[in-house]
Amino acid sequence: MAMNYKKWMMATLVGGLSVTSLVACSSTGTPGASSITPASKPSAEVSKATTEPKSDLKTLQIWQKDDYNTYPVAKYLEQKTGYKVQYDMLPQDKPEDKLNILIASGEPYDAITIYGSTDFKALYSDYAKKGALIELGPLIDKFGPNIKAVIDPEALEAAKVDGKLYAIPTKSISNVNTSLYIRQDWLEKVNMKSPTTLDELTAVLKAFKEKDPGGNGDKNIPLTVKGEAPFIDNIAGAFGIPNFWNNVNGKMTPRILDPAYPEYVNYVADLFKQGLLDKEYAANKDATAKEKFTSGKAGMILLNWSDVPTIADALTKNIPTAKASYISALKGEDGKAGLAAFRGFDRLTFIPKASKHPEDAMKWINAKLEKETFINMTIGEENKHYTLKDGTYTPIQPIFSEERNAANNFLTGSDDTNYPIYWQARVRKDMRLFEAWEFMNKKEPANTKVEDPLGFAPYLPEFSKSFQQLNTMVGDYTMKLVFGAEQLSGLDAFIAKFKSSGGEASYKEVNDWYTAAKK
Amino acid sequence: MHKKTIRDRSLDLLIYLFLLLVGVITLLPIANVLSKAVSDESAVISGKVGILPVGFQLQTMKYVISSSQFITSIGISMLVMIVGTVLAIALTALTAYPLSKRNLPGISFIMLLFIFTMLFNGGIIPNYLLMKELHLINSLWSLILPALISVFNMLVIKSYYESLPESLEESAKIDGASNFTILFRIVIPLSGPVLATIALFYAVYYWNDYFNPMLYINDAGLKPLQLYLRDIVMDADSSSAMNKSADDMMNVSPEGVRSATVIASIIPMLLVYPYLQKHFVKGVLIGSVKG
Repeated sequence: MAMNYKKWMMATLVGGLSVTSLVACSSTGTPGASSITPASKPSAEVSKATTEPKSDLKTLQIWQKDDYNTYPVAKYLEQKTGYKVQYDMLPQDKPEDKLNILIASGEPYDAITIYGSTDFKALYSDYAKKGALIELGPLIDKFGPNIKAVIDPEALEAAKVDGKLYAIPTKSISNVNTSLYIRQDWLEKVNMKSPTTLDELTAVLKAFKEKDPGGNGDKNIPLTVKGEAPFIDNIAGAFGIPNFWNNVNGKMTPRILDPAYPEYVNYVADLFKQGLLDKEYAANKDATAKEKFTSGKAGMILLNWSDVPTIADALTKNIPTAKASYISALKGEDGKAGLAAFRGFDRLTFIPKASKHPEDAMKWINAKLEKETFINMTIGEENKHYTLKDGTYTPIQPIFSEERNAANNFLTGSDDTNYPIYWQARVRKDMRLFEAWEFMNKKEPANTKVEDPLGFAPYLPEFSKSFQQLNTMVGDYTMKLVFGAEQLSGLDAFIAKFKSSGGEASYKEVNDWYTAAKK
Repeated sequence: MHKKTIRDRSLDLLIYLFLLLVGVITLLPIANVLSKAVSDESAVISGKVGILPVGFQLQTMKYVISSSQFITSIGISMLVMIVGTVLAIALTALTAYPLSKRNLPGISFIMLLFIFTMLFNGGIIPNYLLMKELHLINSLWSLILPALISVFNMLVIKSYYESLPESLEESAKIDGASNFTILFRIVIPLSGPVLATIALFYAVYYWNDYFNPMLYINDAGLKPLQLYLRDIVMDADSSSAMNKSADDMMNVSPEGVRSATVIASIIPMLLVYPYLQKHFVKGVLIGSVKG
């Protein structure tokens, strides 16, 4: 025991000593302190003092797995643009909270890049209105010729708050992401073709249930869907309601107010009643639905194309003879069909008032859009990271994945004409991925791709405020209708509730904007 | 001592079996995560992995452990924990000592000041601004300094000091010992168990701290393990998927990698716990009985 006490006494003494020594270190700023204070700070000051003509920039980025500072793209950009940039990043969990603190406390970031989704757009607009951001118009006129040249003017227009531009938008590549994925070998076993209409879909699902192509007896699940998707993509499109808002006779109409809503609900509820839709639909998590599909219990699944390689791998490992592919956009009774395509901002990059080098930040953003720099930043160097043949960019692996996988996070505005073409190199890193993407986005007739009409809407306060809540409300209600816990006879009462919970105000606001924008 | 009857023994056996069962049940979730970490990714996706691994492989573990971010994070966490714990225990023990001398003038007022901080504090934004003005944002000191003295821990040590017989110190004084000699040669050596316990409390606090680094650390190279872990585990969460572009979706960490990260990050604590646990129990008991 005596030994133990002695040890603890030693520990205390050492502790006491280390206080004094560490304090001494940090006050003189010797390298010894760098183990505990960020090494970047002293070095940043040193390089500023030397003859480096360009100032060092400090940026805040969204979360990614790898450290931005050590990522190959960062090195390339530093060498190409001449700006030494320190990249900080927001956490993955509740980035809004952190961002608010950083903006409120006036952290001197020279550029901040955030997501372009509705809630972040609301934050951006809020900061702009409160005067926390620098207006970019004059800076772009002086230092941003590339920005004017390559960024889609429509996107620039949509990023404006009260007629002034405060952020450089990075446009999303408009993709269809989700559709129904079917077991091709099951189809062959029941001797049917891939369904193209709703009636054919019902027939195929029935055959999957009755003819037992999966050999699961009565445990076959003809179609499994995760509970987070109360509106099943592709099926919803056949009723003309692929997006949250759809054009009904010239008015933007949310799904719940759409005349097609009851028809959609009836169709899906019928699938459910007949046992063609997973009994556990509402309880399914994304992972559970995937489990059911990859273990060979389910014949169809609602799937994002980005999941195809992992799902296909797992499926063939479990059932070597299995084959699966996407079905085309289903046609409804009056020939309607549609797949929801994303449209809007992927990122927004703004310069806060607290920035110490707004002009340099703008020059840096502009330099990144230089044609050669931009292509190298996003997909690398020709014949090292990719090959170019007949206008097709094909990645060279594994170096492409190692050095450019996270390149999209370095975007601060993009060459909106060419980037969608370069970008395909990123999908070609796995041919199955590419085929899945290509099927939905290129092979399907163009009119089945229905872009979110609100993608480039400006910040709409009423809509932003109630969007989440209304979305959940409608989702829950739709689920209950499908399960028979609610009846369509109560729809009017629900619509009244929907309108009073902010639905009415959103509707008016969205349509006011829509009619004004059409002119 | 009376001899155990068969009845007693069978009852003992039953109790042991029951407790064993309860113990095993608490281990099941960990076993599940562990198996996912060492199973084939395809098996994980198709939900085949329960308690035992399917398609055993160590590739995922290797990938996680060799990732530079993981190594940096675990290094940062270790550094913060070690420096933090040493400083915290030293300062707490030193603060508690004078406060345990009730006859010092003004002592109750100073006590009141300490107690006040237990009940009231500035809140997140003022704390953040304080850290910012002290230029501690993006510095590991921002993780260490705020927690250096936990008043609760200090009170535990103080009451332990008070329980030591006063005659010990008096006799030392008669032998010519100075106040410092008394503290370092008599009081602290006698307080071993309580100091060990409190040191453990601090160590666990520093190791598990998530909130402070979340607020004060923006530099990816300075993120401690808990923050890194949260980011990785959140990666496939649907609430963060909402913001994700197609590119991000292609890069989501597979479930196996997430499980392996969880396992890799509990290993260090798992290794030290058995050795420290006895102090934990003993120290807490001593504090509670005598304090």
